[in-house]
Amino acid sequence: MLSRLKRRFRALFRKHQLEHELQEELRFHLERDVAQNIESGMNPEEAHYAALRSFGGVDQSKEECRDARGVRLIEDLGKDLRYGVRMLLKHKGFTIVAVLSLALGIGANTALFSVVDAVLLKTLPVAEPEALVLFEWQAGRAFRIGGMTGTSSVPTPPGTLGLSLFRYDVFEKMRHARDAAPDSPLSDFFAFAPIPEVSAVVGDQAEIINGQAVSGGYYAGLGVQPVLGRGITDEDDTAGAAPVVVLSHQFWQKRFAANPAVLGQQLKLNKLSFTIIGVTPPAFTGTSQVDYHPAVTVAVASEPLLQGERSNLGTANRPGVWWMNLMGRLKPGATSEQARDGLNGTFQAAALEVMSPPRKANEPARLEPKDYPHLITESGSRGMLDRRRRYTPTIYGLFIVVALVLLIACANVANLLLARAALRGPEICVRLTVGAGRRRLIRQLLTESVLLSGCGGAVGVLFAFWGKSALVTLADKNTGILPNELDLSLNWRVLMFTLAVSLLTGVLFGLAPAWRATSLDLATSLKQSRRTTGAVSRLSRGLIVAQVALSLLLLVGAGLFIRTLYNLQRVNLGFNQENLLLFRLQPQQGGYKDERLIEFYQQLLARLDYLPGVRAATFGKVPLIADDNWFNDFLLPGETEQTAERHETMRQTVRENYFATMEIPLLRGRSFTAQDDRHAPQVAIVNQSFARKFFHNDDVLGKHVTDSGDREVEIVGIVADTKYRSQREELKPLLYTPWQQEGEMIGEMSFALRTTDEPTALVTAVHRAVRELDSNLPVTEVSTQTARAQATLGKERLSARLLSFFGGLALLLAAVGLSGVLAYSLAQRTNEIGIRMALGAQTANVLRLVIWQGMKLVVLGLAVGALGGYALKRLLASQYFASSEWQSQIAEQLYGVKGTDPATFAVIASLLTLVALVACWIPARRATKVDPLIALRYE
Amino acid sequence: MKKQKAELLQGTLELLVLRLLRSGRFNGWDIMQRLQLVSGEVLSVTPGALYPALHRLEERELISATWGPSDNNRKAKFYELTAAGRKQLDAQRKEWERFSGAVALILRDA
Repeated sequence: MLSRLKRRFRALFRKHQLEHELQEELRFHLERDVAQNIESGMNPEEAHYAALRSFGGVDQSKEECRDARGVRLIEDLGKDLRYGVRMLLKHKGFTIVAVLSLALGIGANTALFSVVDAVLLKTLPVAEPEALVLFEWQAGRAFRIGGMTGTSSVPTPPGTLGLSLFRYDVFEKMRHARDAAPDSPLSDFFAFAPIPEVSAVVGDQAEIINGQAVSGGYYAGLGVQPVLGRGITDEDDTAGAAPVVVLSHQFWQKRFAANPAVLGQQLKLNKLSFTIIGVTPPAFTGTSQVDYHPAVTVAVASEPLLQGERSNLGTANRPGVWWMNLMGRLKPGATSEQARDGLNGTFQAAALEVMSPPRKANEPARLEPKDYPHLITESGSRGMLDRRRRYTPTIYGLFIVVALVLLIACANVANLLLARAALRGPEICVRLTVGAGRRRLIRQLLTESVLLSGCGGAVGVLFAFWGKSALVTLADKNTGILPNELDLSLNWRVLMFTLAVSLLTGVLFGLAPAWRATSLDLATSLKQSRRTTGAVSRLSRGLIVAQVALSLLLLVGAGLFIRTLYNLQRVNLGFNQENLLLFRLQPQQGGYKDERLIEFYQQLLARLDYLPGVRAATFGKVPLIADDNWFNDFLLPGETEQTAERHETMRQTVRENYFATMEIPLLRGRSFTAQDDRHAPQVAIVNQSFARKFFHNDDVLGKHVTDSGDREVEIVGIVADTKYRSQREELKPLLYTPWQQEGEMIGEMSFALRTTDEPTALVTAVHRAVRELDSNLPVTEVSTQTARAQATLGKERLSARLLSFFGGLALLLAAVGLSGVLAYSLAQRTNEIGIRMALGAQTANVLRLVIWQGMKLVVLGLAVGALGGYALKRLLASQYFASSEWQSQIAEQLYGVKGTDPATFAVIASLLTLVALVACWIPARRATKVDPLIALRYE
Repeated sequence: MKKQKAELLQGTLELLVLRLLRSGRFNGWDIMQRLQLVSGEVLSVTPGALYPALHRLEERELISATWGPSDNNRKAKFYELTAAGRKQLDAQRKEWERFSGAVALILRDA
């Protein structure tokens, strides 16, 4: 094997020596033959020719010997490449247009693939990530599980349950079961969970950061070695242990200037001191959802210190909630099925202990074993999957768009190559005539096109760099299309993808032109001159039609999203969003609770009321049109927990002047007053949808409903409906309570100031008012209501922008293609046009002739595109194609406009026609400018 | 009367060359002479076919080549079997015997 490599190497680089040896070898043979012939009595000349004759073709034989060297392909490739580079340099205009269109297509695909890589493919930067298993669970019946918090996307058909979250006490029982089993398939088993929004004070600066709680085995189980200090261990994760914190590398750099002396220092989290014991490696951003990167990590045992009364572990009078993610590491050779089966029994027993059976109304006569909660496993190699699952359809949708753009670019370059191949007809013809093999020629033409696509790919990587930063900017918190804090890098996977796409496109757009170019009928083409080969080939016309059709699809998509955005911006929100300044406070994290919290808010509100420029100051727990959400179950009069089905209502708790300040009309009954405090009877106000849905048209006032936690409230008023979470969401039942009666639930609040003038002018005054009360309390999410509402439309805006951009790009490419093909065909018809004009044809006639030639294709393209779009819509709507989850996601993209909206289609089609007219007119105009005399002499 | 010469089956030439080289180290001309001698005038082999075959066998490492003096004291390229070539020869010979045996059987019966 080695000697063969050596010979190949010699064959490539010591070619002259090999040629010489071959020459020598054959000469030796001929000389011996000649000598023999002379011995048998021939004269020297005769002997020479006889030897040559009997040899049977010396040159063919040499060529065959060269073939035997096995490097013929590489040698030829070198030659083809050199020739290809020469050809590309010679036709600079063509090369630039082709490379640029390919670069745009490949660049867009590369940028998007880097998103796919970051969200869907990248594995955790930990030791052997493939050995990690993620635990989730499902139940065939809707057990009542109590509270949960976090993100979960385990599929749950109606009437069933599925969660990727666990209660800590359930985890502990499972961990003990694993520890007790010596032959457990898991070498490690650990839990982790986000603690969003921890207030951290570094120096004298307070800020809200993302936190995380982990069980003691977390760092050891993952195999993450801190770059500084140590990770959290089982000793740290025991009740009563000193509170410690591990910093993320990013947080350490940002807030501590990467100072190694932080070890042993104290960090104040929610007003409590934690000792800094370690810093994780830069690449490791946690195992949580793809868009959640905790800055600080504490032991689960320290979680109650951070969350206090609201601890997820539960308190003396409140059970814990489902909030932790579980992961394990498989021993070598063990399977995830073994891990699941090993823990399933313990999990089931522990879960059933803390769950209530399904409500009477949903309960079958008898629960089957399959109805009980049971574990399922997923690969843990990429961390948590829930958010990844959610982003998948959007990302693939975008991928379809950029793939279409690339296809259009390919069609474009193929068309340009076809035109050029026809111009190169004579050259290729001569080559074929003197005996070049057709395969050899195709190979050479393909080398040229792959060279083109390679250049396109290289420039495309540059474009991807820019596109990537654009994607990251677009992917801000409010778009929801892409995860924020996305870590996009052009790693080897992405570059391999680009290389593969480049090569593939090169072959894709190069093959047809190369095939056509070499399938000449030699006899006729040598005789023919260029003047009779004027028609644009059917393939070329087909490509134009395809380009127009694809552009139409993309542009109609863009049009639909622009209409959606327009409609959503004009939705009636049900309250006045002008001149409202919003901000958010979380004083409970500064240690305020109960009486002190209420007192703090009252003092602050009193200050805000009298700020100059403020007409009224109010707050509610949930900011409006901000994608924020609070809902819970409740019971109608006469129902009990055991009999009732689930009724669900949106919730809000507000200051008494909320409705007046937000300008939400009170329809019946009374509004809240300052007297509705903790000592007064518990009251509530509902919106119209609530009254209509749960009480039909009965009189609602005076009715009692039971809120979660057995709190009975009397409905004292009805207000008009408002949009709650977003502009898009339908109006839903909503129950308001006065804030002082919420007890434990009051904590963070979203303030709204109705101002007399521009709201942002008040920002510094607000900061000052808060600081005067507590200088350590961060003021977050400062914004105006209109800006907040716009931000909530981020996803729609991004979709509209991206589609408009790519649609515009596609249209531009199609126009360039159309223009180019017409120009080429006209160049060949110069002669014919000259004759027409010499015979008296008017410029207008010629223009019409040429433009119609192009527009025929455009009209056909529009028809094909329209049909294709309709077929695509049918395809997407069929169950065989997309899962119902995808379909609902696709369906909820548009608002106030149908996918087959004729107006949008008409506008886009006319826009496309207009651009195409210009694209046809430019070459046509040039053609008519030709002097008939010159045209006739042409060629 | 013209002599009928059989065309060589694909790969047969290579088999013959391998067989010849089993008895020693030869240059191209020697091999040519021996081929004509051994196969009589039945098979038609030209040097134009022989040399590519030699180079292909060399590329496949079934034979190896060295430059050395010939019997008329000119520098010539000599070929000899490699271990892989020996193995290949045995295998191909068995294959050939099986094949020709089968053909002979059919022809006799028919």
